[in-house]
Amino acid sequence: MKKLLIGIIVLSIAACGPSKDEQAQNEFENQLAADSTNSGGPEISPEVIASIIESIPSPLEISVLLKESGTKYDVALLNASSNTSKYNSNYSKSLNLGIYGTDLGYTNIYSQNQDGLDYMSSIKELADGLNIGQFFDIETIGKLATNSNNLDSLLLVTTQNFNAINTYLQDQERSHLSVLLLTGGWIEAIHITCQVSSKDPENLQLQEKIGEQKIILENIMLLLSFYSETYPNIATLMQDFEELKGAFDDIEITTIYKESTMEIVDGVMVIHDNSESNVNITTENVEEIKNLISKIRSKIIS
Amino acid sequence: MKKLFNLLALGTVLSLISIDANAQCNADTYTNTCIPKLSSGFNFLKSYKIDGAGGGKSKVEYSYVFTKGTQYMINICAEGETTDGIVVTLYDSKRQKVGTSVYNGQYLTAMAYPCNTTGIYYITYTFENSANYCGGSALGFKR
Repeated sequence: MKKLLIGIIVLSIAACGPSKDEQAQNEFENQLAADSTNSGGPEISPEVIASIIESIPSPLEISVLLKESGTKYDVALLNASSNTSKYNSNYSKSLNLGIYGTDLGYTNIYSQNQDGLDYMSSIKELADGLNIGQFFDIETIGKLATNSNNLDSLLLVTTQNFNAINTYLQDQERSHLSVLLLTGGWIEAIHITCQVSSKDPENLQLQEKIGEQKIILENIMLLLSFYSETYPNIATLMQDFEELKGAFDDIEITTIYKESTMEIVDGVMVIHDNSESNVNITTENVEEIKNLISKIRSKIIS
Repeated sequence: MKKLFNLLALGTVLSLISIDANAQCNADTYTNTCIPKLSSGFNFLKSYKIDGAGGGKSKVEYSYVFTKGTQYMINICAEGETTDGIVVTLYDSKRQKVGTSVYNGQYLTAMAYPCNTTGIYYITYTFENSANYCGGSALGFKR
């Protein structure tokens, strides 16, 4: 049943990617069907893995939401930039590189330049340890960070750097590290959101944002599942995520569909989304998710 | 005679290389053009290569989780100022069409989507009378 569910999710996303013609799709389906009959689990093509990774939203979206909802900057919510020496394995370096990536985005959005530079140094250190340090031009980023007028450029450069790293790791057949990087980034984003939401339970927008993570969690677990048989650390992480999934199972996301409409405004096609999704989540759900995320995150950053 | 043969062989190789180079799609050039063209206030998220393999592919597709309350913008860049017949169409998680960048025969270079429904979306690029089947695209967001 679990494999069937994984197959359905993969197939719904795997219809994407630059080389998804019908022949490739058929080959993929045949491969998945063959793999599901043996105990090794599905062996997924790099293109499919890349397309799932590409679909995961940037943690930067959450940082922007936090700032625009009036939440004050709080560096205490982040993983201390001085913790880098604790991370010695590729597993912990990748996860914490993702965590620091989210922290850097958060400091950037709030124009906390000195904190941002500290996180940039930590990122560079971990990236060097993973032989991907060449993607961070710390001198350029440092110059951009010294002037708050350069915020757009700073966000652009750092986003491009992380996108380039993901592509490079996949090209180098080190996709599991790319998945860990993504996982760390997501954990940090939801950790910050849960902590803020817990202190501000009246902010229903944040609660809804936490509930929406149910969709992302499913995709991240799917990615982790591809590597859990090969890498014992990832298998352990998956166990923790199973518990987290249990907490998200109580949350219901409903959608009322209505056909969208379109109009051209200043040469841009603007789509009016007449559908609506709603997230049924309680403060108790948020507390449970917050505690589980804290537990998982502590294991990663310690 | 031998020199003539070598010259002909060299010419053939060079012309083959030239043909191959013409068929190549350097989508990175277009994605790099597209990123700064995102409208003011939008934060860059992803760049997408659109390589139709000289007409060998009917579509190029990517996916992304869009979230309620966020406005997204997708633009298209190709040779020149037009989209070279490249059309972007957005589908929701149930593969229902949400919107497209072509309207009454007009090929628009950008599409904005203020999202009201969280879920996975499919960003599909197709080609209509395209000359080069090659382009780039950028995705941005703002709250």
